[in-house]
Amino acid sequence: MRRAIDDAEAIARARDGDLDAYAVLVARYTLRAHRAAFLLGAGEEADDVVQEAFVKAFRHLSRFRAGEPFGPWLLRIVANETRNLTRSRRRRAALALRLPAAESSGAAAGGPVDVVLAAERRERLVRAMNGLPDRERQVLVCRYFLDLSEAETARVLAWPLGSVKSRTARALNRLRGLLVPPDQERVTND
Amino acid sequence: MTDRTGWQDAVEPELRAVGRELEVPPASDLTTAVRRRLEEQAVSRRRMPAVGAGVLRHRLGWRAALVVVVALLAVLIATPQGRAVISHVFRFAGVELRQGPGPARPPGSTALPGERQMSLEQARRQVSFPILVPGALGRPGEVVVSDRGRIVSLIYRRTPHGLVRMDEFAGHLDQLYFEKFVHLGNVAKVGVNGTKGLWITGPQELMYITRDGTPAVASARLTTGNTLIWGTRQVAARLEGNLGKTAALAIASSAH
Repeated sequence: MRRAIDDAEAIARARDGDLDAYAVLVARYTLRAHRAAFLLGAGEEADDVVQEAFVKAFRHLSRFRAGEPFGPWLLRIVANETRNLTRSRRRRAALALRLPAAESSGAAAGGPVDVVLAAERRERLVRAMNGLPDRERQVLVCRYFLDLSEAETARVLAWPLGSVKSRTARALNRLRGLLVPPDQERVTND
Repeated sequence: MTDRTGWQDAVEPELRAVGRELEVPPASDLTTAVRRRLEEQAVSRRRMPAVGAGVLRHRLGWRAALVVVVALLAVLIATPQGRAVISHVFRFAGVELRQGPGPARPPGSTALPGERQMSLEQARRQVSFPILVPGALGRPGEVVVSDRGRIVSLIYRRTPHGLVRMDEFAGHLDQLYFEKFVHLGNVAKVGVNGTKGLWITGPQELMYITRDGTPAVASARLTTGNTLIWGTRQVAARLEGNLGKTAALAIASSAH
């Protein structure tokens, strides 16, 4: 009875109104969807966004093309819901990405020098990410935090592939600029 | 130490490494909540003309739906038709009404999650919405804030109507669902201070729905008397007690 069904079968059955089959998809994709919603800016409201996305996805299953991967298709709905939310807040996505406090401060407090430096650098990277314009941060979240390919990122953010490439490049450049440590900055200015 | 080029080129792999370390809060299990909503939609779609349902969904939009998303779930069991399978599901001012058999109630005392009794002044600081206090009843005997400020309950033990309870929450008056209540035999629409309200007679099974949409089974209880539900732009309220309609409306009108 409890035979594992693959995505294609679950989708086909859910499309015919089988809520058990859809529950399999919900259980299977909740973590990914939640991570995406949270990192794209839904913050504490990630659960609400994901719930709404799953309800909408069910309604739109008829538009799902057989053979297409379910993940990016769902994440596109999640990204859209997240955008609606952040727009309705009328303020910048209250994201503030955070590294686990214990690890970074612990390392900085008394670890070996290279560990301390690495932790410090990661913290700078996170701060720099938080300072990027929304779209550039979104593209980096998709590419590097959600491990999506360029094509998948284009699908999820509903952008042309070219925009994904150009915004990724721009965002990485900006990050590099923000990351240059002060002492080296001085050296290159000489 | 790393030279400048190394420092730059490390960005992509480092971003991936940071991605693995970032703090992401745990996800809730949404299978039950999603299923419940899909079942409700299936029910309301059967009840409403297809076009109406589409317009309703479209006009409500997901944001409204989120605001409206059930704070309390009342299951009407008082009428014979109420005992049949669920045939109506409606939401109004954060309250979802179903006609159907109530949930199995756990034995023992019932409570909302995380109930904390405090003064009215403390409660005002704990919740995000303005607390309505019905002047007709005077100061509440007890003020209870539940579920980390999501609900506030004013409890009046000695009134001419016996025990009266008013639950308030950040509900949202949703007129689009409102017309549908005419289907329910013991639910009537009423006007409260110029806004719309619902007057529900007879005891109902009441259950609290948590932030993630799952019912808090321990909160299930049979209400006493009748209930009036109404909302303003910022707060929704349900007034419960052994009250007649006139008395309930007078109390509601005195609340500000």
